[in-house]
Amino acid sequence: MTGVSVRGGAVAAPLQPPFRFGRELSARVLGFVMNIPTLVTLALVLAYPIFYAAYLSFHRVSLADLRRGVFPFVGLGNYERILADPLFLLALKNTLIFTAISVTAEVVLAIAIALLIDQRQVWTGRITKFLILLPYAVPPIANGLIWSFMYNFDFGFLNRILFTLGMIHDPINWAGNPDTALIAVAIPYIWRTLPFAILLVHAALQGINPELYEAASVDGAGALQRFWHITLPLLRPIIVVTLVLRTSFAFAVFDEILAITQGGPGDATWVAAWYSYRKGFAPPFDIGVGSASAYVLALIVGVLAIAYVKLIYRRIQ
Amino acid sequence: MRQSRLTRTMLHLANVLVILFFLLPLIAALIGALQSERSLQAETRSLLPPEWTLDNFRVILSGGTQKGAIFEQATYLPDNVKKIYYALANSAMITIAVTVLTTAFAALSAYTVVRLNLRWVIWLMSVNVFARFVPIIVLMIPLYVTFRQMGLLNSIWGVIIALTGFLLPYGILILAPYFATIPRELDDAARIDGCSRFSAFLRVTLPLSTPALASYGAIVFIISWNDLLIPLILNNRAEFMTLPVVIASLVGDVHVFFNLLMAICLIALTPSVVLVLLLRKFVVQGLAVGGVKG
Repeated sequence: MTGVSVRGGAVAAPLQPPFRFGRELSARVLGFVMNIPTLVTLALVLAYPIFYAAYLSFHRVSLADLRRGVFPFVGLGNYERILADPLFLLALKNTLIFTAISVTAEVVLAIAIALLIDQRQVWTGRITKFLILLPYAVPPIANGLIWSFMYNFDFGFLNRILFTLGMIHDPINWAGNPDTALIAVAIPYIWRTLPFAILLVHAALQGINPELYEAASVDGAGALQRFWHITLPLLRPIIVVTLVLRTSFAFAVFDEILAITQGGPGDATWVAAWYSYRKGFAPPFDIGVGSASAYVLALIVGVLAIAYVKLIYRRIQ
Repeated sequence: MRQSRLTRTMLHLANVLVILFFLLPLIAALIGALQSERSLQAETRSLLPPEWTLDNFRVILSGGTQKGAIFEQATYLPDNVKKIYYALANSAMITIAVTVLTTAFAALSAYTVVRLNLRWVIWLMSVNVFARFVPIIVLMIPLYVTFRQMGLLNSIWGVIIALTGFLLPYGILILAPYFATIPRELDDAARIDGCSRFSAFLRVTLPLSTPALASYGAIVFIISWNDLLIPLILNNRAEFMTLPVVIASLVGDVHVFFNLLMAICLIALTPSVVLVLLLRKFVVQGLAVGGVKG
């Protein structure tokens, strides 16, 4: 009878707890269901905008076009316009200089300060350690404004310090000099983003075996030699990671520029993100050109990202 | 290793310099916020003002209704200062919503990354590594156009959606390695006791991950509280501005009251600074307890 074999199957079933049978999803289905919120969010806010930005960069998107909802195709027109725009090329150049200044300073300072707070016998180091995260929490726009106040020519805080110390007789125009304006916006940026770099380096320092230093001391190596031949080579991976991460973020600097110079004096501090923002969201409200310039920025950072991903994967393996 | 007295003095000196560098902007902001514009411009060379006043905070926190001695004669007061409570409420609602949403979404995804061995989820993980590099300005231009069509401009929802998407990849990257440190045997034990995979996630993985969830939650809180570009582009009406957008709007104003601005900056930075000092202790504690209890 065929019914027997069916019933035979039913006899085997109670070996698995019956309540689990209805409730438990397979790993494949569960994996999909648990990722639905992330997939929807990333599709809407990350994947779609990246492709839509490319689309917009090949179209004319002015305020009038936005109202109509129709964007005429212009081919490479927007790219031709930005590459022919001296201001865009200047913005790229400024971005490079800004990034070079801030990232170099950050890595050097981060190594120095991480080594400093690693000296546990020095009690002042504990205060430093306590304060290290502080700049990280300050809103970038507030940070920029506070420095803008410090830089102020007429009544700024930096000039007050120097007057009080008797070091100057005339006020210094910190952020108003076109030759040094990029440095003036780089310093607040370094101040705010330094904690991240210090934490990365400090964490890597904890991983260095102290016996290495003891062995080197026994062999007669001085502090400088120990730093040069042990610390620095062992820190190299984390230094590269810090460099790549900080470089790609510094390329997109925006808040401090808005707060301190708004691109000025003249156009001395126009950077890439500022250019895209100004073209798209201030007169002439040309979102097509804004997208094209933002895409150039994304491509430059994308190359860095690929380098970083390769780097991480090599470190994991 | 013993240090000579000279080395030790030099190290103390270096620490003092670093501490001064970190505190200098905050000290400057505090001194600026505690004086009137008149004293700021009258005596331009001394560090401390001739007279101290809390009027800047009074003007801001009363929404411009109490002008105090400083602004009694002033005919102009930036409009956005009067809307400060809208800004505080918007910032708070956006920050809390984004923190809750990203932490929940990231935890769900991170669990599938470390426990379910699905190839496409691993692939999602590398997308996340990549995603953190995309500059926000690149995403915000198309999002502005899309949200405009969807009617999401000038609402807190547009900002919440955008920030959640932007911060989600960090969460998965932070939580996944932590989940991986929790022994798989604990999951298996729960499942032998009759838990489904999902309830093992809720009852085993999540409770054991509170240190990681808390530190990620705090990081998201700080970034979304501080973020400027997303609400700046999406919301331009005063009722929907966040605190950073109000601050940015005062930069290009007809008259910049630095004393008033320093007070607003201090109000804006207090929640995240306080949180970071709390987070510090928490992270240290979390490390001491370790990933696994028994």
